[in-house]
Amino acid sequence: MESIKEERKLLRYTYFLCIVLFVNIFFIGKEGLDKGALMMGAIICILFAYSHFIIRRFFPDGDKYILLFSNVLAVIGMGMLYRLDSPVALKQLIWYTVGIAVFILVVVLFPSLSNFGKYKWVYLVCTLILMSLGSFFGKEINGSKNWIDIAGFSFQPTEFGKLSLVAYLATSLQYYGKNIKEKSEFIKIKALIEPGIVVMVSLGFMVYQKDLGSALLFFAISVTMLYIATSKFRYVLICLLLFMIGGFISYKLFGHVRQRVLIWGDPWKYGYDEGLQLVQSLISIASGGLFGTGLGLGYPKMVPVVQTDFIFAAICEEMGLLTGFAILILYFLLFYRCMRVPIYGKDNFSRLLAVGYSTMIAAQVLVIVGGVVGAIPLTGITLPLVSYGGSSMIVTFFSLGILQKISEDGQSYE
Amino acid sequence: MNDIVINIKKVMLVFLILFITLISYLTYIYMFNSEKAVASTFNQRLWAERNKVLRGTIYDRDMKALTKSKKTSQVSQKEQYLQGEIFAHAIGYMDPIYGLAGLEKKYDAELMGSEDSLVTKFFDFNKKEEEKVGNGLRTTLNSKLQTAAYKALEGKRGAVVAMNPKTGEILAMVSKPSYDPNNLGADWKGIVANKNMPLINRAVSGLYPPGSIFKTITAISALENIPNVTNRTFDDNGKLYFNESTSLQNFDGEVMGNIGFRAAFLHSSNVVFGSLGIDLGNNGLKDTAEKFYFNKDTPASGLTIENSKFPSYKNYEKGNIAQSAIGQAGVLVTPMEMALVTSTVANNGIMMKPMLVKEILSSKGKSLEKIQPIQLGEIMSKKTASTMKDLMKGVVAEGTGKGAAVPGITVSGKTGTADHKGDASKQVAAHSWFIGFAPYENPQIAIAVIVEEGGVGGGVAAGITRQLISDYLK
Repeated sequence: MESIKEERKLLRYTYFLCIVLFVNIFFIGKEGLDKGALMMGAIICILFAYSHFIIRRFFPDGDKYILLFSNVLAVIGMGMLYRLDSPVALKQLIWYTVGIAVFILVVVLFPSLSNFGKYKWVYLVCTLILMSLGSFFGKEINGSKNWIDIAGFSFQPTEFGKLSLVAYLATSLQYYGKNIKEKSEFIKIKALIEPGIVVMVSLGFMVYQKDLGSALLFFAISVTMLYIATSKFRYVLICLLLFMIGGFISYKLFGHVRQRVLIWGDPWKYGYDEGLQLVQSLISIASGGLFGTGLGLGYPKMVPVVQTDFIFAAICEEMGLLTGFAILILYFLLFYRCMRVPIYGKDNFSRLLAVGYSTMIAAQVLVIVGGVVGAIPLTGITLPLVSYGGSSMIVTFFSLGILQKISEDGQSYE
Repeated sequence: MNDIVINIKKVMLVFLILFITLISYLTYIYMFNSEKAVASTFNQRLWAERNKVLRGTIYDRDMKALTKSKKTSQVSQKEQYLQGEIFAHAIGYMDPIYGLAGLEKKYDAELMGSEDSLVTKFFDFNKKEEEKVGNGLRTTLNSKLQTAAYKALEGKRGAVVAMNPKTGEILAMVSKPSYDPNNLGADWKGIVANKNMPLINRAVSGLYPPGSIFKTITAISALENIPNVTNRTFDDNGKLYFNESTSLQNFDGEVMGNIGFRAAFLHSSNVVFGSLGIDLGNNGLKDTAEKFYFNKDTPASGLTIENSKFPSYKNYEKGNIAQSAIGQAGVLVTPMEMALVTSTVANNGIMMKPMLVKEILSSKGKSLEKIQPIQLGEIMSKKTASTMKDLMKGVVAEGTGKGAAVPGITVSGKTGTADHKGDASKQVAAHSWFIGFAPYENPQIAIAVIVEEGGVGGGVAAGITRQLISDYLK
């Protein structure tokens, strides 16, 4: 019962945050009071209540905090988007609704995830198709060739590629060390060669499509899963070494990789052209200070692509650096709850799947926030749940749904 | 995989460290880099903050708009200069990259300020935000005269300053070469590279040797300090010797013979005024010059005037003292300074504070502040001033300044032909100067004109003065 109380408290705070945020936006409307903001806030609150009710009522055994933390992050994102550009926020609300629906559907409809460990080849083919799609049919948006148009909808196939890559790695690594206990180390390593090649091919496609953020992300996911599956730190070191060599080669080979590194080294030198994004992002963060300018009082629109990649800078400017820290801490808490899931997983496949999806979210945050603040070379990927984007929203909620499902499965049999 | 709990803990630890590192990095850039970031030229936020208010309009004295501000986006605006190059130096410019200059800088707060108080703004939030417009400036400039002065200097280098001697209102202020303040972004490199330096407002910042127009100050000093100087007779043998090697000559080596003070001024005798300078001594002459705000800041509203220079010499430096009395040696003046000198003479010895702005108006045209003419004090006695007026009338009527005479109007003035150190390799023409006022009976306008390397003062500069006076008074 204690946990229900805690949850309710957190839920109440989330409602409170949502209300405060949208009432604030209501007052700062460009043309007088903005009633749309209140409507939107109310809809979000209803969605919270509904999703939480379903999970609480019908699936009481799973982890409830995953959904709670995700909702907090999503509401901050939608609030910021509404302040930046209300029609975009409205679209984001639709994607958020779809995301919540996907989350609930995964939890309600999916059979136990242990059954999905058999389809290795399906995942492999999916991965390769999704990864390569951008290279062949992609069009360039914001410098990355990873957007695909199908029937008027444009989406990023690599977002979905992440899901199948994790599933593939989980299937191929699940038996590692099980039936080959007696065999030599050489044979054990042999089992890792195939997934290794798949990961390398995926990374190759990403570099070719100029989507360096995704490349970094895939690498982080693969290494983490490898370590969890094998418990061997040596392999991690070898992977890092290979990654460095690969990075060095692509630095020498591709102009766009060199450019990213150059800008990262001294963004101010390229402040009017290539470094514009990063420089404006740094200025935006700096001008907000610890407490921010207040919603609607800053100039986050001076930062390019502020609705997706640079939304973190906008949040820091108007809501303050402290909110930025809070968001990072929230992500870590979400990651923490997600990483608890595999501990109770019943089989290796679902454990690895859970590790993969948790790492995916956390690594994505580190890569994009690191890039936006200039800690690492900037690579354009979305901030999960906060940035505007349909693909990203659906993929993130899908993986959270899977995590929820695994935690549900694991707990209910104990 | 049995040790999954331990492994997961390790992975979580790694990610915890990464998150903490990221937060620390963010703290680091906030603490050590944010000032630099906010102050950088890439930060357009301060401009955006300013641009919430549409900049006020600058008008000429007859309320004809000289500028027009236009919003180019939510956070930026562009100032259009309707008269382009003609008013460039008088009103300056505003540019998001090159900043503010001239009147735009001096009256920035007024132009960006609007009347709304914070309280009404707070209660107004329900209304659609009304466009805020900054206050307007009504300058003292006369568009017709300014344009005429600009045209008169066409193709030349130099400056014209015209003012109302009774109020200190600047009627025209032109500096050539000029630049187009509408296209600074595109033209900037060319403007800066131009060796004639179009950005400099020669009218207030150009320091030139004054040549013979400085004899007005020498004459004033003599009238005030040497008793009965008007009745003295001088022997002008064409040359004034200081020692064996140095001497001072009249223009073109003219010999004027036995002449009085009046004739010496009318015909601009270097010999007579050189010896008067020696009689007055460096201190005497410098005192008079400093009364006219040489060597110190001239009070002015709406503009900053470079200090004109009158040097100090030891008593034995007779050559330099004599040279300084005829406006050579180390004497350097701005055209504005000389316009003030002639204004003071025209205004019976009382100097008026030069002013460029008459009135500050609200965006709706209501008068917020009228700027009153201010006297800077009596620089010379009324008697001296009236003698000087007569002398200057004589210069135009029968002396070196006949070129400035306008039929029907009594013009008074003084010519100047100033030698200057040009390029050592080639012989350069002297600067052509003219200062004057008109009409003699009731002065309405005082003018200083310089044409760089324009030759004798009685030529080009006197011609420009004649044209402007006749344009303005007819």
